[in-house]
Amino acid sequence: MSKKITLNHITKVEGHANLDVEIDDGKLINCELGAVEGARFFEGIVVGRKYDEIKEITSRICGICSVSHSMTSLKATEDAFGIDVSEQTKLLRELMSIGERIRSHATHLYFLALPDYLGCESAIEMAPKYKKEVERALYLMKLGNEIITKVGGRQMHPVSSVVGGFTHIPSKEDMKFLLSMLKESKPYAIKTLKLFSKLKYPTLEIDSEHIALYREEGQPLLDGPIISDKGLKTTSRSYVDFIEEYIVKHSTAKFAVRNGRGYVTGALSRINLNYRTLSPKTKKILSNHHILFPSKNIFHNNVAQAVELVYWIDNAITILENSEFKQEPLADFSPRAGVGRAATEAPRGILFHEYKFDDKGNVESCNIITPTTQNLRSMEDHIRLYVENMLEAKKEQGYITVEIEKLIRAYDPCFSCSAHFLKVNWKERK
Amino acid sequence: MSSLSIFKKEKKKPRVAIHSITGCAGCQLVIYFIRDKLLELLGEINLVAAPMIKGKNEKGSYDICFVEGMVACQKDFDELKKWREQSKFLVAWGTCATHGNVPGIKIYMDKEGVENRVYKDKSHLDGDKRPVVPSPIKECVKVDYEISGCPPEEIEFLRMMQRFLMNVKPVVYNEPVCVECTQREIKCLLEDEKECLGPMIRGGCNALCPAVNHACTGCHGPLEDANIPQVLKLLEENGIPKELVKQRLQKYAGPEFEKLGVKIR
Repeated sequence: MSKKITLNHITKVEGHANLDVEIDDGKLINCELGAVEGARFFEGIVVGRKYDEIKEITSRICGICSVSHSMTSLKATEDAFGIDVSEQTKLLRELMSIGERIRSHATHLYFLALPDYLGCESAIEMAPKYKKEVERALYLMKLGNEIITKVGGRQMHPVSSVVGGFTHIPSKEDMKFLLSMLKESKPYAIKTLKLFSKLKYPTLEIDSEHIALYREEGQPLLDGPIISDKGLKTTSRSYVDFIEEYIVKHSTAKFAVRNGRGYVTGALSRINLNYRTLSPKTKKILSNHHILFPSKNIFHNNVAQAVELVYWIDNAITILENSEFKQEPLADFSPRAGVGRAATEAPRGILFHEYKFDDKGNVESCNIITPTTQNLRSMEDHIRLYVENMLEAKKEQGYITVEIEKLIRAYDPCFSCSAHFLKVNWKERK
Repeated sequence: MSSLSIFKKEKKKPRVAIHSITGCAGCQLVIYFIRDKLLELLGEINLVAAPMIKGKNEKGSYDICFVEGMVACQKDFDELKKWREQSKFLVAWGTCATHGNVPGIKIYMDKEGVENRVYKDKSHLDGDKRPVVPSPIKECVKVDYEISGCPPEEIEFLRMMQRFLMNVKPVVYNEPVCVECTQREIKCLLEDEKECLGPMIRGGCNALCPAVNHACTGCHGPLEDANIPQVLKLLEENGIPKELVKQRLQKYAGPEFEKLGVKIR
């Protein structure tokens, strides 16, 4: 006899997805995680359109990572046309991406992940008791939004960054304002790191492959070779050759594997592979709380995000203190036929865009691989192991469900990029 | 000012829901990013459903329900219908909900071709996930108010909530982008021979694109009473090819332009 229980929607993730868990006689038989969001066919609708509006369209894939989609789209387009943008343009794009990183991590850490650990249903419920924490979150989110707005013209789907450069640059007053906000927020970032280092995380270790961009000095953002802890070493142009995408019956979002296996991309992979570049202060906070990187425990992704908050706020301060931006013309270019590719680090991991253009600069084909698509398989593997562990420990269904939600949120999935309400369908056969 | 009946008798905090169907989550985030007024606002309302940030979400009896996203599959339609039945006021929040937004480009292409480029095998897109023509929500249910924008502006949300809380009928800004652009004394991009759609597009954005020297590309959708033929003539005089202008108008609000008699196919 099979028993089917539908549990409440798993909430507090970006976008919508379903999870089916099937258990027979106390053993896990099946676990399927899938995006059930309506398909929007972005890679299809850009075909035949002019290069100058492709970034504007693909930015709409995701609100929370719209800067990343914009930057990756521009870089891939510039790669196709052989455009070298100015150092100032590179710096401004970094700055905007840092703004997005701060906003995304602050939102995820405080609004989506933290309530689980404090036993609240939401940050709103947290507010009376943890007012300082919520205020801190809102300040960091605002900081991120202000950076993106001052540099990109709007907090979401930024406008001023175009193929070849910027139509507008932040004024001196804007820079001063951002710098003072950044300095004020520095202690907030440190407090966030301490808070997330202190939380008691479950232990769930799988020997997964962690993949990230690499940077000689500092943390990776918009360029760099791609490496993994299992020997992958490649360029962002040939990254796509190492990934195999496939379709599953239970998801509108595609899945991706490397060598037939799932892998992990995102903050944890970045910190694991670029740990050496962190400041002594950050390392000290981590070691005070006995958190060691590289870590194979996926729950430490939350800590890695907090580490990045501290790192990028410091980095943005350095950029602003050492730069003077001047209005400059866009890079000189003419569209040409060819293929352009770019891989960047979005808040949730490596984002890949590829376009083929005709000689007039109209898109002939497009391929986009989002971080969540790459993490889905590994997420499924992790859920399977975690559920098995909990069944073995004779945990109740209610407990297991809460823990699965925590695990999925630790990944910070973005189902808008790939998926609907995360809903757990619990099937039990007896 | 006509008053609303819902809050008068009860004097209770309005029950508000923020829901989404297929979209990018950006419009919801605009609300959660209102740093300076968010906590104050949450004190004035009872946010009973907001699955993106809440674990406990009530299924109905909403006074006001904001919906983000477009109808892209049967599942979207089913959820939307449920929310409509459960809401006194339903607000379409953002250009996906009001106009169908960029996924609507598909309407002007070979649909099969577009879908096949993304999925060689579409067997997983079946049942309630089978794609439908991407539509604004007013094509499927009755909508009380619309605020367009990709994303919409927080000030428009606050203005609407303020009116709701005062028991006054909300009024949505209904002037072209040019009004705010002129107020800000921004140099006219059309005069500069740029491809600016501002004169026929609903403002409310404080002309944020022209403010950073970027032409308006129309993310708020067209104004009903705009002199569209005149704008198209200006664009032609600026040397923008007719075919390109058609493509541009398909982008955020194609079906709305067609309703207003503009040929964009």
